[in-house]
Amino acid sequence: MTKTDAPPMTPGVTSRRGFASSGAAALRVRFLGVVVFLVLLILVFSLLAPRFFTLDNGRSVLFTAAILAIAAAGQTLVVLTGNLDLSVGSIMGVSAYVVFDIAGGAPALQPLVVVLAIAIGAVLGFINGFLVAVLEIPSIVATLGTLSIYRGFVSVYANAQEVTVGELPRFMRDLATAIWLGVPAYVWLALVVVILVALALRFLPWGRKIYAYGSNPKAARFFGLNNAAIVLGAYVGAGIIAALAGLLLGAQVGNINSLLASGIELQVLAAVVIGGVSIWGGSGSVYGAAIGAIVLATINNGLVLLQVQEFYRLLIQGAAIIAAVAVDAVVQRRVLGATSRRRVMEVTA
Amino acid sequence: MKQFIRSYAWEGTLVVLIVLAAIWSSTLSPYFLNSVNLLNSAAFFVIFALMAFGLFPIVVQGEIDISLASTLAVGAVLLANLSVAGIPLVAGLLITLLVCALLGAINGILVAVAGLPSLAVTLGTLGAYRGIAYILAGDAGITGLTPEYTQLGSTWVGAVPATVVLALVVAAGFGVLMGFTRFGRASYAIGNSAKASRMGGIAVIRNRVIAYALAGAMSGLAGLVWVSQYQSARGDNADGSILFVITAVVLGGVSIKGGSGRALGVLLSLVLLGTLQTGMKLANVPGTSQTLVVGLLLVASIGLPRAYQLIRARIAAHRPAHARTAALEDATPA
Repeated sequence: MTKTDAPPMTPGVTSRRGFASSGAAALRVRFLGVVVFLVLLILVFSLLAPRFFTLDNGRSVLFTAAILAIAAAGQTLVVLTGNLDLSVGSIMGVSAYVVFDIAGGAPALQPLVVVLAIAIGAVLGFINGFLVAVLEIPSIVATLGTLSIYRGFVSVYANAQEVTVGELPRFMRDLATAIWLGVPAYVWLALVVVILVALALRFLPWGRKIYAYGSNPKAARFFGLNNAAIVLGAYVGAGIIAALAGLLLGAQVGNINSLLASGIELQVLAAVVIGGVSIWGGSGSVYGAAIGAIVLATINNGLVLLQVQEFYRLLIQGAAIIAAVAVDAVVQRRVLGATSRRRVMEVTA
Repeated sequence: MKQFIRSYAWEGTLVVLIVLAAIWSSTLSPYFLNSVNLLNSAAFFVIFALMAFGLFPIVVQGEIDISLASTLAVGAVLLANLSVAGIPLVAGLLITLLVCALLGAINGILVAVAGLPSLAVTLGTLGAYRGIAYILAGDAGITGLTPEYTQLGSTWVGAVPATVVLALVVAAGFGVLMGFTRFGRASYAIGNSAKASRMGGIAVIRNRVIAYALAGAMSGLAGLVWVSQYQSARGDNADGSILFVITAVVLGGVSIKGGSGRALGVLLSLVLLGTLQTGMKLANVPGTSQTLVVGLLLVASIGLPRAYQLIRARIAAHRPAHARTAALEDATPA
């Protein structure tokens, strides 16, 4: 439990406080690092492209980032346990297509689209979690498999048909274009999802256990935690959030085919990694992941305004990911250094 | 003999699955068992096979490389450029292999020397290398390659396409490399425990960088097959094919945790995947629906044995103590 974003401090224990000041501080610096990077990006783009720093453009950046941020919040849950969910794009696709297809055929079910999406997400997430936590299949392999299975399922289900705009519930279409208090509704929704997930991670036993397990699975077991249940819970949560993100993407796109959101998993993963969620598990926050999503959206938007071609976007995005993990490695070493120093101090005392 | 069967149980299972898939495919379409059709289909999978064999030692070492398809694109585009510029094939291929090996080595250095997680590093270079391929290709892509560069795709050695022969030679090469050389032994040792290997005097960093550079070079070779089969190159070549490549390696019995797996298994899993996909293609199953079967195969092939072990261990827990330990020993994965 040494790597959580905000370790519960025990007042009065000096050695623990000594550790927290260097280990947790390094993590706080890591989070600040992403924010500073984002600010720098904004500055550079504002100087280079006059159209960048306008209200309209800011709105458009946040709108693009919204769905990615929601999906990244779900992915964060899984990455915190030291696993991965490569099937996120397929879950989004299944959710959007199946839910809107059902709702299109039965107008009575239209108010229930969110419930339907949550149910589908929970089932698909549970399957992932079962494969990883109970059958102990490495998460890359398991979710690579379900990525294909879920996508294949939509393809078979869709049978080369599309769900057209007209079949979508009116209120979902409106939501996609709505502006609340000057900001797109999707951005508010993303904010709500991110804050809810962050609060759940912070205050619910479910969330604390995810951090505890991710920091040190072996220690979590000795502590009496049910590891399989924790991982399963993280995947179910991630599945539900991915399904909701799929619903929003579907409503935004309008005409939904069986390929919706395919390939988005790498973007989501990039947002999470840039946002400072450690790929080793146990450290990072959903806020970071959300900022990672905004960073990606900013890079995309700024480079389009500068009329820079696609390849520089890919180059810069790739470099940002590697820079982010390089910083992570340094932070990781500091945290480990801090804990081992503490151990030495305890032994000598 | 018993040990031989146990040790090759995975390969045996794959052979059985291949036979079943072939029977199933031939019921789907009468054209399946046509030898020309089979060999032409096999040629289609050579590109994936070359990447899969390149990835194989990396996975054995307990790492991953998801940037290989982007490296392939760099290789294909570079070859096309060199061809248009009039460079002879030998020189062009050499340059391409070197460049791709270098791209691989960059991954390897970031992973082995800097100690960064391989998935994140290669996620980054997946984008970066794709970007390089776009720069080299320009917007329209490159066509008008000299016949020298595209000859491989239309050459037949006897009754077999030359590219298929190339894939088999590469398969045999990797079988020898991983089974009988110091690099191979070091790779399995690193995959089992990098720390212990380092203490045992194995040059972990060097072997990792070599594995990544080799995988890069294999992707460059796959780039040659690509241009020879498609007579053109674009920045988005092979985009998204890495998932299929990883599936092939893992289905071949190479543990993603490292330390185990054989080239024979990878070859058999490629044959199995190829058989299934060809059969479904002939039966007009759309591509995205085919992934359903491939994914199920991947998850079931790894999940079912594990489920069987768990159930056996659960049952054994209710038996007397001596039987229980025997069953538990069975349940621990070899």
